[in-house]
Amino acid sequence: MKNTLVIDLDRCSGCDSCVAACKHENQMNLGVVRNHVSAVGPSGTFPDIEMYWLPMQCQQCENPGCIEVCPTGASYRDEETGIVLVNAEDCIGCESCLTGCPYGVRHMNPATNTIEKCTLCFQRKDDENWEPACVHNCCCGARIFGDLDDPESAASKAVAAAGSNTHTLYDPANLAPTTVYILSDKIAKWQDEPVEVTRYEK
Amino acid sequence: MSKRNLTRRSFVKVSALAGAAAAVGASMTGCMQETAPVEETPSNEQPLSSTAGLTKMRTSCHGCIQMCPAIAYLKDGVVVKLEGDPEAPVSRGSLCIKGLNQLHTMYSPRRILHPLRRAGERGENKWEVISWDEAITEAATHIKDAIDKYGNYAFFASVGGGGSYSFMEAMTLPMAFGSPTVFEPGCAQCYLPRWALSKLFYGGDDQSVADNAVQEIFKVNDNKTEVVVIWGAQPSVSETAESGRGMAELRANGVKTVVVDPNFSPDAVKADVWLPVRPGTDTKLLLSWFRYIFENKLYDEEFTKYWTNLPFLIDPDTKLPVKAQELFPDFEQTTPENTPAYVCFDLKTNEVAPFEYSAPADSAVDPEIFWSGEFNGKTYKTAGQIYKEEADPWTLERTAEECWLQADKIEEAIKIYVENNGGIVNGVASDMTESASQVPLGCMGLDSIMGRINKPGVTMTQKGGGYFATMTDSGEKVNTRPVTFNNGFGGMFSDMYGVGAVIGMSDAENEARIKALGEQMPDSQRILNKLLQDRLGMKDHKGLYAWCHSHIPTVRNAIATGEPYKPRVWFDMSGNKLAMLGNAKSWYDVFPEVDYIIGQYPHLTSFHIEACDLVFPLREWLEEPMVNMTQLDTQWLQNECVHIGETVSHSIPAAQVVAKCREMWGGHIPGGLELGDGTAYLGDPTEEAVKNTAATTLGAPDWATLQADVDAYVPCVTPDYWNYNQHEQLCDDGLPSGFATESRKVETYCQMLIRMARNGYPYCYPEPQEACDDYSPICVPIEPAESPYEGMPGYDAEYPFVLTSGRVPYFHHGTMRHAPFSRELFPCAEIRINPASAKELGIEHMDWVKVTSRRGEVHARAYLTEGIAPKTVWMERFWNPECYDASQANPTGGWRECNVNVLTKNDAPFNEVYGSYTNRGFTVKIEKSTRPENIWVEPEEFEPFMPTAEMLAEAQTKDVF
Repeated sequence: MKNTLVIDLDRCSGCDSCVAACKHENQMNLGVVRNHVSAVGPSGTFPDIEMYWLPMQCQQCENPGCIEVCPTGASYRDEETGIVLVNAEDCIGCESCLTGCPYGVRHMNPATNTIEKCTLCFQRKDDENWEPACVHNCCCGARIFGDLDDPESAASKAVAAAGSNTHTLYDPANLAPTTVYILSDKIAKWQDEPVEVTRYEK
Repeated sequence: MSKRNLTRRSFVKVSALAGAAAAVGASMTGCMQETAPVEETPSNEQPLSSTAGLTKMRTSCHGCIQMCPAIAYLKDGVVVKLEGDPEAPVSRGSLCIKGLNQLHTMYSPRRILHPLRRAGERGENKWEVISWDEAITEAATHIKDAIDKYGNYAFFASVGGGGSYSFMEAMTLPMAFGSPTVFEPGCAQCYLPRWALSKLFYGGDDQSVADNAVQEIFKVNDNKTEVVVIWGAQPSVSETAESGRGMAELRANGVKTVVVDPNFSPDAVKADVWLPVRPGTDTKLLLSWFRYIFENKLYDEEFTKYWTNLPFLIDPDTKLPVKAQELFPDFEQTTPENTPAYVCFDLKTNEVAPFEYSAPADSAVDPEIFWSGEFNGKTYKTAGQIYKEEADPWTLERTAEECWLQADKIEEAIKIYVENNGGIVNGVASDMTESASQVPLGCMGLDSIMGRINKPGVTMTQKGGGYFATMTDSGEKVNTRPVTFNNGFGGMFSDMYGVGAVIGMSDAENEARIKALGEQMPDSQRILNKLLQDRLGMKDHKGLYAWCHSHIPTVRNAIATGEPYKPRVWFDMSGNKLAMLGNAKSWYDVFPEVDYIIGQYPHLTSFHIEACDLVFPLREWLEEPMVNMTQLDTQWLQNECVHIGETVSHSIPAAQVVAKCREMWGGHIPGGLELGDGTAYLGDPTEEAVKNTAATTLGAPDWATLQADVDAYVPCVTPDYWNYNQHEQLCDDGLPSGFATESRKVETYCQMLIRMARNGYPYCYPEPQEACDDYSPICVPIEPAESPYEGMPGYDAEYPFVLTSGRVPYFHHGTMRHAPFSRELFPCAEIRINPASAKELGIEHMDWVKVTSRRGEVHARAYLTEGIAPKTVWMERFWNPECYDASQANPTGGWRECNVNVLTKNDAPFNEVYGSYTNRGFTVKIEKSTRPENIWVEPEEFEPFMPTAEMLAEAQTKDVF
């Protein structure tokens, strides 16, 4: 199974509902996130500009670098669902996996000294309709969850409908991220190495 | 700007890592099969759903005014999970960050759970808990003493600021005490101008996308919308889960959009054309659209000729349309007296001729829209000609120059608008400027000349029922001449108290009606009519009558000077006034002039700390029964999912205070307005009444029956909601129904505004208000009072930037600043600055800056973006509840540091009709600075706002009243 997210950036408005939905669902602390949304741009010069938002979370790679480098086996792939997970009991908080993931989507939770990451709301796996909280509450209908090995899944259908407007994150290390982003040139040109505008205290 | 995450460097790192991993004998490719642990958790138990053991309750969010349907899950009486209701037709299961974060604000240690009496000086944030009995008696005693000593006008009320449910309650509370004074920082600055003008313009629903007025474009089935022009609104930010979701669906379906917004909002990002207009100059841009459409004959000629008043000859002396009898004494009108005949220039005869109301096909004349000429020695113009001449200077090129736009982009936008079916949605931006009446007149005017009214796919419609139902639909079987009642929502006070003329009745019919009502209810009519005459600021800004509100700067001046009377005892019903009122310091300065101030809210804001003597604790939205706004033709329940402390529903404290005052006065409030056996205050006095009101609105006999089977009553579908071409349907007088206006047509030349300025008609009636200067009946160009152009009045070289403002998705008005998951994402005030301008000032991304206007100074973090013009800057309103957190060594009220309303301008010039002041489009200077003390910015700093064990353990309590 290739359970993953398909995210339609033509729809995403950067509202951060997915971030709050994730944090509440997974009862996370302040300062810790499993997903975030970055503004990419605006690029160009006013008023001839374009931008998109890039929601980021575990890319559910086919060849996950995080699992490769985890010294304890805490990072693993669930055989049944194909989802990359962290077994908190085995995680020693060594942060090795942070170096195995180029996407910055694993985070240390200082309160537990373990690594947190998107599980696609694995606790919902036995729900009648398994749907991550970020997908359910997405205010743009931009997030689609499903099995890309199943051509009948909503995720597969969205990818098929998007034609040539599908993208995956830059992948020089051949991790093969499965998360698919849909972005058409009409909204903005996909950037392989996007400049993300962030907020921080200097 | 910072590059983060996806930089080449991080990939170099991972490539190096791949090499290192290879060195220890593993391969990056295909590693998953080799390294994944075999994870079998054999179990004989059935897999459990993640919501097993939780109680599911259907409710509605109240994070903003749109109130998306939501589902709450409870465990042991505590709400542990919230999500959007997937059955909601527009929001479709979406729930935005404001709604989701109610999980924290509901159980916030900031909640107040019992009535509080001030224990220190104002501003010291010292309180003592008192009983409800004490609190009600204390409030009532202060109000009664003030009224006994100083008269009824000593009392005043206010509302607004977010999380504000008390619109009707605030409107009617001062009436009950015989006082005319009530205000809301919104109202003239938010929605009233658009709402009220649509009633005068065509008697139908307005173009607001944020206030549930526009529904047609979001129809799920049979949607005919091809284009939406979003003018000064950002639905994807302000109402993210509902109209934001709706816009996302429309765009996905190929609907084109044009966005007029100085800021590169999410809707602008997705737009086919973005017009980043200079703040406050929308009137000029609108006139350029009129000019282009007139010039290129792109308007709907038949609709404009026969269904608008643009062909009417306007008397140059009265500015009103000439009636046929005035120019043709022998003319015998065949239509009823309530349907006047006007005058046009007839293209069939090439003569000035009477123009009687009829179906277009039955018209005796072919009216010219644009004509000027002499008749009987006097020069007349048609209303269309007047509009054309007003628009004439606004070529694409001149407009581009003055509005900081590109001429070809304006043209492209107009073409998309005229070539596709749809309409304009008009946002709050213009309400916050001097052009609060002129912009909606322009936006509606454009849709009217395009014939986009009462048609599938447009924004100006008259829906068949629900909250925005008009009084014009007279039932399924028999159509009668449509009319518009005035004063209050749906004109409700008109029949209730016998004030206000009915638009669409003849003068004689109105006189007879008001005389009869006066005989039935002489005291009511006399008292309310007098309140209308004496209300502060009404002589100049009569449009405020529509919602029975006072003019805010005039109220402030009355408090300061005692002229013409001094408001002394204040009952505020919602929100942080210091964050919401323009020129906040000017209000802070008059607090000492107010003898006693009562507040009510679920938590303490700057206003409560700096001003209030008594605070009533209110329910959060997870606790308060209510019926939501509509989504399409459906209404939903806001449920009582939980209830903690001694909190009450929003209508109750005032109802209890009014009842106590009546008791203390021995039955009647002297000079107070009464309704039947009760007072004019329209708010439920007990939780049982609140619940039954909600139940009956949804068609259930009572609350218990509703709760026994919520799904049987929710959603409640309004029958026959979608209606089209109502104006063409035949009426009982043999004529097409037309519109609920004086002329029975769409009054693109809004003639009622002329009458209103002269005597307060149709609101202040039968006894009139004093005249003021005439209001403009059409869109006219307005240059902001603080112009950035040298040589213009109000120019000051010291303030080179034009500041405008708007929302971010994390907050609604003043709400949610105490929501930790909102604040960690958007921790502090931000000012968006163009990078080129910032460079000149030596300002980098995320530097703290000081922003100074002619009123004061605040601080914000610079957010550099090409999404704003070099001379424009953009802020969100902010205030900081952490400033008075117990952990602060030197607490402050939290409203001076970062609050854009310290900068805003609350003095003249005001919008002529509504008295709106200038919250947007004034000038500022910007300098590098440092972070003010007490402001939190790091995620961990917001820990004191997280729900506490004590709050989560707070027992479910019984209703107090």
